[in-house]
Amino acid sequence: MSPVLEVRDLRVRFGAMAAVRGIDLAIERGQTHCLVGESGCGKSVSALAVMRLLPRGAKLEAGAIRFADEDIARLPERAMRRLRGDRMAMIFQEPMTSLNPAYTIGSQMTEVLRTHRGMGRAAAVERAEAMLARVGVSAPGMRLGQYPHQLSGGLRQRVMIATALLCEPDLLVADEPTTALDVTVQVGILKLLADLKRDLGLAMLLITHDLGVVARIADVVSVMYAGEIVEHAPAGQLFAEPLHPYTRGLLRAIPVPGKVKRGEKLATIPGIVPRTEAGFRGCAFRDRCGFATYECAEPIAARVEGAHRWRCRLEAGWREAA
Amino acid sequence: MSVAIEASGVSAVFDQRVGTFGVHRRVVAVDDVSLTVKEGIALGIVGESGCGKSTFARLLLGLLAPSGGDVRVGGHELQAMDRRARARLIQPVFQDPASSLNPRRRVGEIVALPLRAAGVARGERRERALLMLSRVGLAPEMAGRYPGQLSGGQRQRVAIARALVLEPRILICDEPTSALDVSVQAQILNLLAELRASFNLTLVMISHNLAVVEHVADEVAIMYLGRVVERGEAGSVFAAPRHPYTKALLASVLTPEPGLGLPELPLGDAVPDPANIPAGCRFHPRCPAAIARCATEAPARGDVECHLVQPVPT
Repeated sequence: MSPVLEVRDLRVRFGAMAAVRGIDLAIERGQTHCLVGESGCGKSVSALAVMRLLPRGAKLEAGAIRFADEDIARLPERAMRRLRGDRMAMIFQEPMTSLNPAYTIGSQMTEVLRTHRGMGRAAAVERAEAMLARVGVSAPGMRLGQYPHQLSGGLRQRVMIATALLCEPDLLVADEPTTALDVTVQVGILKLLADLKRDLGLAMLLITHDLGVVARIADVVSVMYAGEIVEHAPAGQLFAEPLHPYTRGLLRAIPVPGKVKRGEKLATIPGIVPRTEAGFRGCAFRDRCGFATYECAEPIAARVEGAHRWRCRLEAGWREAA
Repeated sequence: MSVAIEASGVSAVFDQRVGTFGVHRRVVAVDDVSLTVKEGIALGIVGESGCGKSTFARLLLGLLAPSGGDVRVGGHELQAMDRRARARLIQPVFQDPASSLNPRRRVGEIVALPLRAAGVARGERRERALLMLSRVGLAPEMAGRYPGQLSGGQRQRVAIARALVLEPRILICDEPTSALDVSVQAQILNLLAELRASFNLTLVMISHNLAVVEHVADEVAIMYLGRVVERGEAGSVFAAPRHPYTKALLASVLTPEPGLGLPELPLGDAVPDPANIPAGCRFHPRCPAAIARCATEAPARGDVECHLVQPVPT
């Protein structure tokens, strides 16, 4: 089966700054692919590039974005607009900024159906109401008449999800969908996304900084650092045996209840992320890495072992010196 | 051990007018909370958005006058205290250093400003500011930079240096690492632990992140809709939570352990509204274990405020 989305060598630049430096991604139907990394690593820019929603000033420099057997990297905006909201949809961190505060939930939801499907008003309302019920919104009929500010953060995110799924897209891109929510609400939204992915056979690209979320929901994980995917593996494998020093560092820096004793120091990653201008060579993590040698200043080839891919000179099975 | 902070029956009530016709809302952010923090202890206050934890922090800092009750710090009533005297005793660190540091002042000036307010001579100010910067792990040349030229972690170090430059007894940290990436969060948590030991600080750490609080705190207080619903020694609360809300909170922490899937959470999306606090036990509409009595009768005051939890005999 060919993947729903296949990205090859995607590169995005903001002026001299290379924000995304040649990433590959493939997502199949029914798969949740998590793109994880810290702020500024290029994960959100990658997602926006896939949706062809890059802000002004950003340049899609190179790369192929194959979606539904078509390269959409150079597709004209008119054609893109037909795809977005229909075959591919996106939800964001803060639903309040994506929903229009001046229109009711109902008018924003039905607009999607009327634009993409040419549905009549009554049919669109009916479908919107059914979708709200599907995503676990109570009293969906009443919600259609409400404005975004009248809903809680969790409900707003459910409305966003319902709107994104109205046309039964093949691909859902979710950028930090639960970051603005409280922990008890977050669990509900993640559960919903997992259910919908399974029931609708969605291909889901989930962008997050939270490795806790990744561990619980991802099928496949790509770890980004300074515009590159430094490690890629099925979720179980990535957490069981992370092979890039950055991934290991990240995992150890997270305080896990019951794992690190109080008063014991947390592991940290020294230094800061370098600025990667065009022409940057070698491993971007080398200045912060305890295993760096002179070789790391040269371009690093990706290592592949089964489904596990990592961009480091270290071979599988390496261990820290005790 | 002597008492550093004593809050007795403090409340914070705000009157809000909403909309063109001024619909009146009475928001009870903190509802009659009594809490003691012993000298040298790290207290973690945990809760979700709108539970009143940040308002409580402002009450403890004296930035907000309580609507009822009083806060005593080091034996003195906070509201009666002179602003300068208060600043020498208790200092805050806020969530977002980008907005709590003046972007037009250099780091050195920012850290020295509390000293100027305290009337310290110019030469000594500079010296003490530089010393404090080195204590928080910033090189002397950082003193000449502007906040905008620093990373998020470095900015938070500046905020910590500013808070500690007067050598206060108590540090109130409101979500000090929530705006930071995990690798930087770990650095700041380690720094706070180190400074706490060397300055012999009393620490109040407010956070929505239970893992962070568990790592730092000796004691915890769990807040829900303006009240502390469970409190106790951190180890025992995390190992054996007793209030249904604490249980739900702990269950919803997503640790990076694959294969566990998502926890079953019966709480739902209903968001607690401090302008409309339910009668009886304030948690009952979301509580999976609620019985009839919970809807009508408020639970007794105590370490765990729940009808279903028997008080532990002491």
